[in-house]
Parts: sequence; structure tokens; C-alpha cells
Amino acid sequence: MRAPDAAPLLAVDHLSVDFGEGAPKALSGVSFELRRDEVLGIVGETGAGKSVLARSLLDLLPEGGRIVEGDIRLDGASVLGLNEAEQGKLRGARIALIGTNAKALLDPVATVGAQIARVLRAHRACGRREAWAAAVDLLAQVGIVNPERRAKAYPHELSGGMAQRVVIAMAMVANPDIVLADDATLGLDATIQVQVLDLLVKRCRELGAGVVLITHDLGIIAHYCDRVAIMKGGRIVELGEVGRFLQGPRDDYSRTLLDAARVRPTPMAGQGEGAAQGMAEATHAKPLLDVRRLEKFFPIAGSTEVVRAIDDVSFSVGRGETLALVGESGSGKTTVGQCLVRLLECDGGGITFDGVDITDMPAKEFRPLRRRLQMVFQEPYVALNPRWPVRALIAEPLRLDPGLNARGRERRVRQLLDLVHLPLSLADAYPHELTAGEQKRIGIARALATGPDFVVFDEPTTALDIRVRAQIIDLVRDLQAEIGMSALFITHDLNSVRSLAHNVAVMRHGKIVEFGETETIFAHPTQDYTRMLLSAELPIEQGLLQRDRAEARRLAGTA
Amino acid sequence: MTVAVRLAGFWGTVPRPLKIVVSRLFMLVPQLFGVMMVTFLLVRLLPGDPALLLLGNMATPETIAAFRERLGLDLPVWDQFLRYVWSALHGDLGTSIFTSQPVVSDLLERAPATLELITYAMILTILIGVTLAIVSVVRPGGAVDIGSRIYGLAAGAIPDFWIGLLLIYFFFYMLGWAAAPFGRIDTFVAPPPVVTGFYTIDSLIAGNPQAFFSSVGRLVLPVLTLAIVNAGALMKMTKTVFADVYRSDFIRHARASGLPERTIRRIALRNCLPPIITLVGFMVGFLLGAAVLVETIFSWGGLGQYAVQAVVNSDYPALQGFVLVAAAFILVVYTVVDILYELADPRIRV
Repeated sequence: MRAPDAAPLLAVDHLSVDFGEGAPKALSGVSFELRRDEVLGIVGETGAGKSVLARSLLDLLPEGGRIVEGDIRLDGASVLGLNEAEQGKLRGARIALIGTNAKALLDPVATVGAQIARVLRAHRACGRREAWAAAVDLLAQVGIVNPERRAKAYPHELSGGMAQRVVIAMAMVANPDIVLADDATLGLDATIQVQVLDLLVKRCRELGAGVVLITHDLGIIAHYCDRVAIMKGGRIVELGEVGRFLQGPRDDYSRTLLDAARVRPTPMAGQGEGAAQGMAEATHAKPLLDVRRLEKFFPIAGSTEVVRAIDDVSFSVGRGETLALVGESGSGKTTVGQCLVRLLECDGGGITFDGVDITDMPAKEFRPLRRRLQMVFQEPYVALNPRWPVRALIAEPLRLDPGLNARGRERRVRQLLDLVHLPLSLADAYPHELTAGEQKRIGIARALATGPDFVVFDEPTTALDIRVRAQIIDLVRDLQAEIGMSALFITHDLNSVRSLAHNVAVMRHGKIVEFGETETIFAHPTQDYTRMLLSAELPIEQGLLQRDRAEARRLAGTA
Repeated sequence: MTVAVRLAGFWGTVPRPLKIVVSRLFMLVPQLFGVMMVTFLLVRLLPGDPALLLLGNMATPETIAAFRERLGLDLPVWDQFLRYVWSALHGDLGTSIFTSQPVVSDLLERAPATLELITYAMILTILIGVTLAIVSVVRPGGAVDIGSRIYGLAAGAIPDFWIGLLLIYFFFYMLGWAAAPFGRIDTFVAPPPVVTGFYTIDSLIAGNPQAFFSSVGRLVLPVLTLAIVNAGALMKMTKTVFADVYRSDFIRHARASGLPERTIRRIALRNCLPPIITLVGFMVGFLLGAAVLVETIFSWGGLGQYAVQAVVNSDYPALQGFVLVAAAFILVVYTVVDILYELADPRIRV
């Protein structure tokens, strides 16, 4: 399929980018080639320069950025020094970019059909009606059901996965030679991520386009890429065939990355069989949290119908036990978490915490219980007051405790920082100065401040770098062992569940469709839906095998 | 219950633009009634007895009482209000104490003058403000950008009457380019027959080029004055909003998709519309009263001058008429603003 003798489609030669004189280089001496019909993966953690690389290929560097050295050649011809009009002919037409967070990439006040048609008309002379028809056609091709109606929808009316498909359609509209996918599936559900990536790679293979897949997920690399480049600090530290890389990375840093990614599926058994058994028995005696037939409805505006966000959900969590609530976005799992800590009032059923019925408890009586029942929010940055330093953020919940004076609080803040493995020096930092992983840790520290018996973790590992994700999982696991708290772990990342949870509940459309011990669910799922969720995961180990199979299927298909 | 459900179901099928317009127009009725009540009471709160004022110091208590009775001032306030609403609904706002003419005909004569002035001033304001804002965002550090910064500072600080006087001094007195600042049309040119009340439009309808050019000439300086004063604020706000949108992810993505810059600017401007609509609506309402100094300088004979006269003379009916018309006008403008705002942003639920 690949013709090694052909001139590379895209050649990047010793590319260096900096942001002003004296500033450290964002890219230094980056070189790689991309051939037709090839998928090149670029992996790196936040700040490695992946996005800068993608944007320099389109000559759309952020303000102040400039290419100081090197060359970018498309089919042998340099694209540097082109004027704006020539660049315009390149962008979208020959090199298309698919970015992160598709909903932010779409014009909020134009219909998606019009937006796709707009791009088409920029690259090909055609009438309004013809462009619209082409847009609808393209929406159908990217797997959008009922494309005529969806074309008239505004971006805010679409789900994240659907918006991502629209962005892919926009990128494909002019049949580009090169597609740059910059973390295109970040924040999407695992099932949707697989669908979107399958679609993207399939479309590109059909067109014979070269793809650059920028990601921090090695699972994606293992499943979809032919070659992989590992980036760190603006350099490519390793570049090679994916198969060889997965078997043995040559560079130390890439090995760390790979190891961190592989750590994830360690089974829960590591915690000691005896203890787990004992806990399980204790559980049967008297659960710490018991949820019976919980219901929560949301009215739909402009009609008398309701959304059944939680529909007859029952489960219980024993002391020292962790339950994972798994499901796609919109399955109602976060709503369950919010009902448990009474951020939302449920519409039916009951919640018993430590023998006390808290379902309809007046807010005044529930207040002291809040100390024992805490929640770690999904988006730590949004949940943290931007004008408060870390010290004040962690001390805030401590004020609930009347027995603690200022010095006691200060001591407790230090303990908590230590507990979540953050240096004391961060105590005076503000949220915007922290990395995403540090913010998550602060969120966890806040939840743990009052020494709760039960903590709800809402998506604690989404959108984090591989190593940071592994660290957060380790942290939660250590905390379980040290404090012995019970937890509800809300996530769509099945891999993290495997190393944390005793039991797993799979949620879909507001109902629990499958419930069981973690290993049982992973080994023998009984429901199709669970199997689908499991198959959507992209563990590295199976990547090669599946890729070979997919390759074989593809070859068979094209032959 | 079933009727309500069926109504709700029917409402759900109504297209969005129609929904917006209908629901807004329904709101207009109670709002107008509220406005009438407030204007009526507010005018009563002004000091000065009109009977006393009109009859002068020589009036005897009997003549004053008779006069009060004639004006209905002796009735309870509530009764006065009901009579007022009743006659207002029949197009009767009373007779001006000062001009001895029906207030309605006074207002009908003067309102078009002010509206014509405001309309053209707003169009020019939008053109100047939005254009300057876009150019200075698209080409930061350019001549337009720097010039607009200075203008933005100055426009907030210089009063409108002073700019009007400067313009008259330079363009009429020194250079003689502009028409004389005495009214809406040349004294020797007959005003065109009234259709819309706008001299420029009426003269075109009547096919009278002489009246058209004369009225346009008279409009130039006052319109320019108002535009210069107001475009600064509009420019500053548009610049902030436009700069934000211009840096946003979807504009960057549009650029990465290879859309031409012209299209990108149009997309960005389209996204800035809601705040621009709001500010322009506010300015139109504000100008109705605030144009009074400019009207005075150019002897425009508009609503503002009429209102000032009414206040000075404690002319209750005239003042009430003006406040009612002004409030109704502002209400209509805000309703239009609300409708446009909701049309411009599909994310707003109706």
C-alpha cells in the first residue's frame, strides 16, 4: 500500500519556533515526514509543543510565535513565506485541522450545514444550493442520522460527539491531502471516541490522505497509527514504527510514558484478598450508604414530558468499599452523585446514610452530615474560587468544624497538602497558576478536609495527561488504604475503575443495566452495552492485534 | 387543563421568529398602561400650579377655581387619571395650555423632526463606530487603531453642543460649505406634503429635488454632531466585543479551514450583534431627550425643545403628552431591540 520511493507528502525539516527573542523555544529542531495514506501519531504531555507544531504547519501560530529555523515542504515545495491568499488556498483545501472541543470550534450563531457549505464555497466555486446539498451529503457520510434536519441545527443543539463529526465533515469537505487531528477526541465518551476515530481514519484512508494524530493517549496510538513520534519539551525524542515502539521504546522518557499508560489495568486484587473479603462480609451486615429506587426527572422546556435522568436506581456501598458508576455522558451518573450529596433533590426513592434516612432531611439537619459526605467536582478549575489562594481554598471546609482554631486549621491544611502529595510551597498559589493535575488534587484535598466517610469522585481522571492520570489514580488508591473511606467513583474511563473499584455499576439512560464485582464485569460482562463499553476502551496490549485485523479488513475491503 | 396542554402543544409548533415577535408584542400592552400611569403621576409631582401660573398674580381665587375646574384639576387624582387614559385612548391628549393647540397635533408636528434627526444620526453612528472598531481590531497598531483610541478618549469628554457650535463655526461661518443652522429646510423652499413626516423621504415621494437637497443639507451638521458624540461609545464597546470574538476558537478554526478574511470578519461581526443591538437601542431612546441641546442650536423645532418649553411653562398636558410619547417610543424601541436580540442569538430560549 505504501510506496516508500515516493516523495513524502509532508516533510518537516528542523523546524524551530519561539515566542520572541530570549523566550525558550516552543519547538526546537523538529523533523519528520508524512507519506500518503499514513497515520502518524504524535504523543506528548501538556506543554510538549504538539499543538504549536500543528498550528505552525498551517502558519497559524499564536500571537508572538514565529518560525525561526527549518522548513515545511508540501509535496516537495516549501510552504513558508507564502502570502495570505496562497495560505488560504492551502488551509482547509490541502491541510485540514481538526481541533479539540468541537463545540467551541463552531460558529454559535450559524447552522452547521451553513458552516460546512461556507468552507466548501471558499475552496470550490459552487452555488449556494449545491454547497448545502454537499454539506448534507457530507453529514450523512460522517454518520449523522437525519442529516437534512441536523444540517439546520445550531451547534448548541448538538452533543459533543455530533459536533466533532461536524468538524470532521468541515475538514473533509475539500478532500485535503493532510489531516491534522489535534486531540480531536479529548473529552468524548470512550464509545464515541472510537466511533469518531474509526470514522476519521477510515475517511482518510479512502481519500489516501496522510493523517497526523496528536494525542496524549497511547491507546489511540496503538490502535490507529502506523508510526509514532514522542514529543517532550518541543523536541521529538523518539520516532518510529508503532509496533516496535510498543515492544521496546528506546528513549527513557517514552518508556516512562508507556509504563504509566500500562499501569492502569492493574486488578484490584493487589490490596490483599483477606481485607477485601472481610470488608465484603462487613458490607452485608450494614452498608454505609444505601440507595433505594432513586428517581430524578428534569422537565423538558415547552412540553409536559420529562427526562428520566435517574430511573429506579438502587445500590449500596459498604464501609471502606468503592463503587464505580460507569456510563456514557447523559447516562445520569453525575446526577446520581449530585443527588447523594443533596445538591439536587431527588423525585422518588430514598437514600440512607449510616442508618439515617437523608432523602427528605431538612437542609439544616443535613448540614452537619455534609462533613461526612463530600464530593470532588468534575472540573476543578470551575469549582475553585479563582481569587483565593490554595491555603484558603483548603481551609474553607474546615471552618465547618467549630473545634478548630486558626492554628489548627493551618496545621490541617499542611497535612492535607501532604496527603494529596502537593508541596507546601503551593499553599499561596492561585488556581490559575496550577496545572490540571494539581487542581484535581486541590479539589480532592478540599473534599477530604473534613475527614469524610464517603466521597463522590466525579470524573477525577478525564482530560488529564497519562502520567498525571496514573498519579491521581494512585493517590485515590493510597487514600482508600490510609483512611479507609468509602467512595463512589463516577467515570467513563473503565481502565481507571479496574484498579480502584470493588464493584462496578454500569448505567445507561438513567438505569443500572449491570452490577457486579469489578473483575467479574471485566472478565464476563453479561450485557451487550457493557461489552460495547469495554470494547470501546483502547488498551495498549490489544492494540497491535486489533490494528492488524483492521488492516486486514481494510485491505480486503479495498481489494 | 387540557386547553392549556393543547395551547402549549400548539405553541411548541410555532416557528421561533414568530414566537419571539408575538410574545414580545403581548408584553407591550401592560407595559404601555404602566407607562401611562407613571407619566401621569410623575407630572403631578412637578412643582407649580398651572392655573396660578397662567392667570398671573392678578387672578382672584374665584377665577383660579373656575380655571381649575375647566382643566379638571379639582377632581380626585384617580378620577383625573381615568379621564386621562380614556381620552388618550381616543387620541386626545388634551390642549396645551401654552400653545392653545391640541397636544396631539403639536406632537405630530414635532416628532418627525426629531425622529428624522435621530434616525440618520444613528445610521451614521453605527457606520462610524462599527467600522472603526473592526478596522482597529483587524489591524492593531495601524493608523486607524491609534486614531480611534484618541477619538475614543475625546468623544467621551466633549459635550455635543460644543461640537455642534464648532461645526457651525468652521463649516458654515468660516468655510461656508454647510447649510445655515436655522431649521429643517430653507426658508424659501416649501416643505413637501406630509406623508412620513421625514422631509427627505417626503420630498422624494413628491418628486421635489429642491426640497430634498435643501433638507439633506440642513441635516448634515446636526447629524454629524450627534454621530461624532455617540459613535465613540459604540466604537469602544464594539471593539471590546469584536476583539474577544476575533480571538475565539471558532474564528481560529474558520481561518484554519481556509475561509477568506472577508468571510471571517463577517462571521465575527455577526457574533457581535447582540451587544451592538442593545447599545444602539439604548442610544436611540436616550437621543430622544438628549438631542435637545443640538435641536436648540440648530433651531430644529423637535420634541426636545417642545418638552423643555412645557416644563418651563408648567404646561401639564403638553408635558404629559411628551412623556407619554417618549416612553411609548422607547418602549417600542426596546421591544424591537429584544426581538432583534433574540433573533440574532439562536441560543436564547423563547
